[in-house]
Amino acid sequence: MKQIFIIAALSLGGFGVSFAEDAPTQLNLNDPNLIFVEESVIPIPLEIFASLDKLGAQDWGPQVLDRAVKLDPNRSRTAMLFGLVVSEGFIAVQAEDKDAVRRIGREVLKLAAPLNVSGSVEGHANSIIDAAGNGDWDMVRTELDKTRQTVINEMKENRDNELVALVSIGGWLGGTEALASVLKTNYSVEGSDLLNQPDLVKQLREDFNELPDRARKGELFNQVSNTLNHLESLMQVDAAGAISEGSVVEISLATSNLVKAIYES
Amino acid sequence: MRVDFGSSAMVRVLIVGLLLIGAIGFSQEEKPTEDTEKELSAVESFQVINDIKVIAQKAALPALIGENKFVLRESWWGGSIAPGKAKLHKVQLFKRNSYQFWMAVPNLRAELNLNLYDSEGKLVPTDVKFIDGENIATTIVSPEMTGIYFVRVSLKNSIDLNQDYAVIYAYR
Repeated sequence: MKQIFIIAALSLGGFGVSFAEDAPTQLNLNDPNLIFVEESVIPIPLEIFASLDKLGAQDWGPQVLDRAVKLDPNRSRTAMLFGLVVSEGFIAVQAEDKDAVRRIGREVLKLAAPLNVSGSVEGHANSIIDAAGNGDWDMVRTELDKTRQTVINEMKENRDNELVALVSIGGWLGGTEALASVLKTNYSVEGSDLLNQPDLVKQLREDFNELPDRARKGELFNQVSNTLNHLESLMQVDAAGAISEGSVVEISLATSNLVKAIYES
Repeated sequence: MRVDFGSSAMVRVLIVGLLLIGAIGFSQEEKPTEDTEKELSAVESFQVINDIKVIAQKAALPALIGENKFVLRESWWGGSIAPGKAKLHKVQLFKRNSYQFWMAVPNLRAELNLNLYDSEGKLVPTDVKFIDGENIATTIVSPEMTGIYFVRVSLKNSIDLNQDYAVIYAYR
């Protein structure tokens, strides 16, 4: 009997250690002792499109828009434009549009120069152009994601941290515009939940608001701030876990207006 | 002649994989844990964590090929973690997709936990598997809701030294 007790006690002790080191079933996210790592990962459009396509094939072709890239000395705008153009590349991959991807590869190169990231982007951009010509969509997708990440890394090395947030906003905005446009045309309750991104928008908005004033001066940046605020309130699911058709239309309009303003300002 | 681009892409993946395996063999043997305790410059620190990312990438390779393959994201997390401590990384996941996460640390004696929590802090049930011992953990999740999740990484008390770590993820 004594042996059984000893074995039981040892076992419980062992379990105790194991429980202490195992993952708790519930975290109190307000616990000040929790360590949150601030840097978050922004999803790429293809991640979202992959989910939507599981509800049925979507027509991504009309989302590939041939918009002229006009350069100006405002590097903040250029950074957002860079993010937008890369997201256009992801949309073109989804639509398997070779010409658009090749054009976007060239635009990436054009935008890289004023952002001082030409050296690190050139190889990726050329790979995008070559792979698109070969119809190697896996390679194009990989190179686009690498381009995005390389530029962000390079900007951090160049101490251009403020531009990083703007590239992320541009990239997210382009993907969201395309997603909302597809959902607006072909609304479904199930698909609408992909726009359930209020926490992500909040993060982008906070990152934007932390930028120094000089990096977000002018009417365009007021529009960025206002649109992110508006989107955060629109991207809330209802009790059924859906975003209403009306909200999807509003999200589509708000994102489309902002994208247009960034391209045309 | 019809060129099979899928195959050529596969060959490229395998070549990169083989090159990575060479690099990893070096990094696992040549980087004792004590290295992470020394004063390192920012560039050296980045290189150490980058080497650990390569360990995770090597472990991920089998999941990135085949018909039902995952697509690896270029974005990743890295840092340092103390024994008995945990850190949370925020990530937006989308319903209907599946995600695979890999966490790696250099010390082969290190034991890890890699778990996912929803936006309300509730543990998402997943199976955690270990690759080549306990210093590389992986888990797959298919979120029931689109939204923010937290990847919780923790280091068990089986070793005394802080560990640099890398977390990578892929979707399908």
